[in-house]
Amino acid sequence: MRRRQGAVEPLVFHTFNTVFMIMLVIVTLYPFLNTIVVSFNAGNDTIRGGLYLWPRQFTLQNYKAVFASGTIYDAFLISVARTVLSTILNIFLTTMLAYAISRREYIFRKPITAIFVLTMYFNAGLIPGYFLMKDLHLLNNFLVYVLPSMISAFNLIVIRTYIGTISESLVESARIDGAGDFKIFWRLIFPLCKPVLATIALFVAVGAWNSWFDAFLYTSSRQELSTLQYELMKLLSSSMNANSNPAVANGVGMEHMTQVTPISIRAAITIVASVPILMVYPFMQKYFVVGLNVGSVKE
Amino acid sequence: MEEIVTEARPLKPPVKRQRRRWSWNTVKEQRQLIYMSVPLLAYIILFAYVPVWGWTMAFQDYKPARSFGEQTWVGFKHFQFLFTDDNFMRVLRNTLAMSIINLVLGFATAIILALLLNEIKKTFWKRTVQTISYLPHFLSWIIVTGIVATSLASDGIINDLLMKLNLIDKPIIWLSEGKYFWGVVGASHVWKEVGWNTIIYLAAMSSIDPALYEAADIDGANRYHKMWSITLPGIRPTIVILLIMSIGHILEAGFEVQYLLGNGLIVDWSETIDIFVLKYGIAQGNYSLATAGGIFKTFVSITMLLLANWTAKRLGEERLL
Amino acid sequence: MGDRKRVLLRFGAVLLLALSVTVAGCSGGNTKGTDAGTTNNAGGSEVGPEQPFEISVFLGEAGQQPTADNKIYKKIKDELGVTFKFEFLAGDKNQKLGVMIAGADYPDMITADTKLTAAGAVIPLEDIIEQHAPNLKKHFEKYWNQMKDPNDGHIYYLPNYGAYNSEVSDTYYSGPAFWIQKAVLKEFNYPTPKTLDEYFELIAKYKEKYPTIDGQPTIGFEILNYDWKNWGLLNPPQHLIGHPNDGGVVVNDGVGEIFADKDYAKDYYQKLNEVNAQGLLDKEAFTQNYDQYMAKLSSGAVLGMFDQHWNFGSAVDSLKTQDKLERTYVGLPLVYDLSTKDYYRDRPSLNLNNGFGITVNAKDPVKIIKVLDKLIEEDWQKLLTWGVEGEDYQVNEEGRFIKTQEQRDNASDATWKLANKADAYYGTAPKIEGYFSDGNATAASNQPEEYQASLKPFDKEVLDAYGFNSYVDFFSPPPENPIYYPAWSVDLVEGSPAKIANTKLNELSTKYLPKAILATTTEFEATWKEYVSEIQKLDIKAYEDRINEVLKWRIDNWTVK
Repeated sequence: MRRRQGAVEPLVFHTFNTVFMIMLVIVTLYPFLNTIVVSFNAGNDTIRGGLYLWPRQFTLQNYKAVFASGTIYDAFLISVARTVLSTILNIFLTTMLAYAISRREYIFRKPITAIFVLTMYFNAGLIPGYFLMKDLHLLNNFLVYVLPSMISAFNLIVIRTYIGTISESLVESARIDGAGDFKIFWRLIFPLCKPVLATIALFVAVGAWNSWFDAFLYTSSRQELSTLQYELMKLLSSSMNANSNPAVANGVGMEHMTQVTPISIRAAITIVASVPILMVYPFMQKYFVVGLNVGSVKE
Repeated sequence: MEEIVTEARPLKPPVKRQRRRWSWNTVKEQRQLIYMSVPLLAYIILFAYVPVWGWTMAFQDYKPARSFGEQTWVGFKHFQFLFTDDNFMRVLRNTLAMSIINLVLGFATAIILALLLNEIKKTFWKRTVQTISYLPHFLSWIIVTGIVATSLASDGIINDLLMKLNLIDKPIIWLSEGKYFWGVVGASHVWKEVGWNTIIYLAAMSSIDPALYEAADIDGANRYHKMWSITLPGIRPTIVILLIMSIGHILEAGFEVQYLLGNGLIVDWSETIDIFVLKYGIAQGNYSLATAGGIFKTFVSITMLLLANWTAKRLGEERLL
Repeated sequence: MGDRKRVLLRFGAVLLLALSVTVAGCSGGNTKGTDAGTTNNAGGSEVGPEQPFEISVFLGEAGQQPTADNKIYKKIKDELGVTFKFEFLAGDKNQKLGVMIAGADYPDMITADTKLTAAGAVIPLEDIIEQHAPNLKKHFEKYWNQMKDPNDGHIYYLPNYGAYNSEVSDTYYSGPAFWIQKAVLKEFNYPTPKTLDEYFELIAKYKEKYPTIDGQPTIGFEILNYDWKNWGLLNPPQHLIGHPNDGGVVVNDGVGEIFADKDYAKDYYQKLNEVNAQGLLDKEAFTQNYDQYMAKLSSGAVLGMFDQHWNFGSAVDSLKTQDKLERTYVGLPLVYDLSTKDYYRDRPSLNLNNGFGITVNAKDPVKIIKVLDKLIEEDWQKLLTWGVEGEDYQVNEEGRFIKTQEQRDNASDATWKLANKADAYYGTAPKIEGYFSDGNATAASNQPEEYQASLKPFDKEVLDAYGFNSYVDFFSPPPENPIYYPAWSVDLVEGSPAKIANTKLNELSTKYLPKAILATTTEFEATWKEYVSEIQKLDIKAYEDRINEVLKWRIDNWTVK
């Protein structure tokens, strides 16, 4: 009985699973593919709609418009710097704190957890936040990209939960060997957390890479501190403005032939902004498939 | 073998060290933990809690040009505006409905997808599917809603498909009917975020001890047994914790999707609290109303969070706090 | 023991830090400038290359940083010693201005906003203009009273558009109208529909004859009602009774009232209801977004719509590149009945609450005003609008400015402009509009030669059939603007009952009008009644009172005595 099931069942399951995954791939690949197509298609042709999987009027114009502004190269470097720095700081500090609050004997465990968790559910607002940055002399300062977001409560809890699944006896035996908490954290827990840290690193890196609001609010008067996302955002807004502002549109007059429309600029920007960060994921993947394979190899 | 099986049940780690009473000796003993955590506590208090003085704005007619002493205090005026507006109950209903739909759909789809991905044996194929499925996360809502709107148009792919399957005989104008809107929003969220949301579960699955699967194989357990009694329990703490955290965000149904897909015909179903507060708060330069809206949401959030946490405790599940 | 002390010390330090920040935060807004009036006589050295001067500018509008070697800014720097440091807005203006005002972090020059005036962020300009800026004084002479702030009578901003030095003969109309495809007019031998009924009759006839266009089902009439772009739905009634665009009100004898709930508005929507029953209205009109609307227009399948031309300019561009000139549009000033004179086209009015102001943080406001005064001289203006002679335009034997096709193409190339135009400055700066003293138009688009050069043979055919010079001739010449015109520029004051009533009225209209139009003929009546009764629940009086208060103030103060 069991034997027959063993022979037919996996086949049925795998067929179903493969078909399902192929459908998933089609459905989730399409929007991105379509964006790429739009980014390579002439703006005033795209506006007609009906563009799906292949450009009708191929052009590099949209990318030229994106790269025309000389400011985005410096901005790219700033973005990379903030992303790398944020990721390293976040991973180290968050894991350290997560370890501390995962210790059941720790006297401040509960208050510290509660104080961090609550930060997920309120926001002091724009203006008080601005005053804080101003008072800390973080306005027009690179550190404003990094300091305010060194620890996220969400990541903290995710790591804490993960640490909770690591066998307590490992910690106990390390302690018997005379290791202090810091040593246990750094030598034992940190390496064991690799899969979840890869995930968190991805979350942090994507968040830092994609954020533009801090540049908008805190560093907008210093061009040299501008980030890639903010520069692209400016580019997009100005292209929308040129097409939707009566004063601007009138000034240009009757014969303006826009080669580049907001839709096509937006598509090119999306690709330019997301391709660098997309490279990170496959790189991280190798950290969290380990261990999984062993269990499912033998059927 | 036996020993491994019991030990790797991750839910109930042996609790040997009980929480100590607060005494100088304990502090001294735990000084390394204190060094590792208290400076960060100070940090979060400075960056997250200190600015909360700004909540006083909700009780003022806040004018940015004036100093704190010069502001006019108005008591609960802005809360009253919020709660007594004819539309408030409606936007609250919409927010809750869409948020619950997103929560349920989001959790179910991500967990199921993670389980199915976990069953793929070929590493390359598995990584490819994963990588592709999380691509939509990187597209802004304006692009995604653009594609959604095109697909739902009368000559769009959805109507084409339904007509070819003879399920309908004339195109449905999806975005003209309030009754479809919540579903459209829920489906759009799943489409955009399902791949991204699996990442965390896949990471959690990698902490499951392979020996458990081996033991199960020897016992002759089939795939569903293993999923049900090894994989799912293995990621259960993660699921429970994420669920509790999400329940705290019950009033965060977002505003971009609804704003971009909404229209006059279905505004009674599409408008959320965030849109309402945006329209009468920030867009009118009324920071006080925006703050009052924020305080209301925080109040609900924390209540829901504590409730969820308490329930989890009652059920003997992993807890957040 | 040592550990304990250290722990305590740290707690203390944290508490102190937290406390100090709180205190600092509370007093943060305290530093606004109180010396607004006293800076008038400070500074004011001469403008010239020997005294380099940097002006920081915040533009409350999206834009792109000009290139470092931009030729116009380079000239300004070489000849006047002035460099502009621009900051553009990308993101929400309310948020940015909110923190800017709260922190009193202003640049030297800033684009107008009523929030800034209310916050005391900008200085009164009338005295320093009188003393130091003869060109600006002359430029704004006729408009001086209109520029005054209704609240305190000071001039805070220099409007960027609308100060004309002569009457302009428009060749190009970008305002509101009922638009119709040229193909429809051609099909029926170039009639001139004047009333709403005639217009829809033509469309119905054409659609019946051509149920599809290029394989796509013909759409008789299109309405865009997306986000803030809802004038296609809301504005027609005021024009149909022969009034100009006053926003949400119709003004009679200097008194405005809303028209949304009036019977003449009902007539329009009832007509649309019938049109819908005839199958002429796009079924998706009220669910489409802007991109979908544009896609339909650029497919050439839409016969008509009510809109402002600049809003669908890119669709027209697309039609031109597809060589579907007969699918582009002509604007028609429709009215209900022939006894009404059309008033769609209006004379330009001063662009209030726009343009530059000088902030309280500016160290040398006098020098700034001198720079602005210098840049409004004719030679600089020519450089700013037409560009560099010989490079960006030619002057022919008669002294007329003309462009080659390449120069025209450049002027619409955003990338080229970053290096060769000073649009970031020019867009917001006060500018000469109308004609230069040599008779050339101040904008290429108003130069008749440029317009004629842009006409395609098909356009000439259409215009010849009507005996017109340009498409503007479909519209009656605009009468002199009423003194208070336009009412839409009245500042309703954010967060006030007037503004809230206006927001709610907008909400009701975008919600009920589509319902009424799509309803069956019998349901229409009930939906309309519900709509009107919902409107009556609003504080419409606050809205109308605010408008009328300002209109009255304008009548009292704007009259040139």
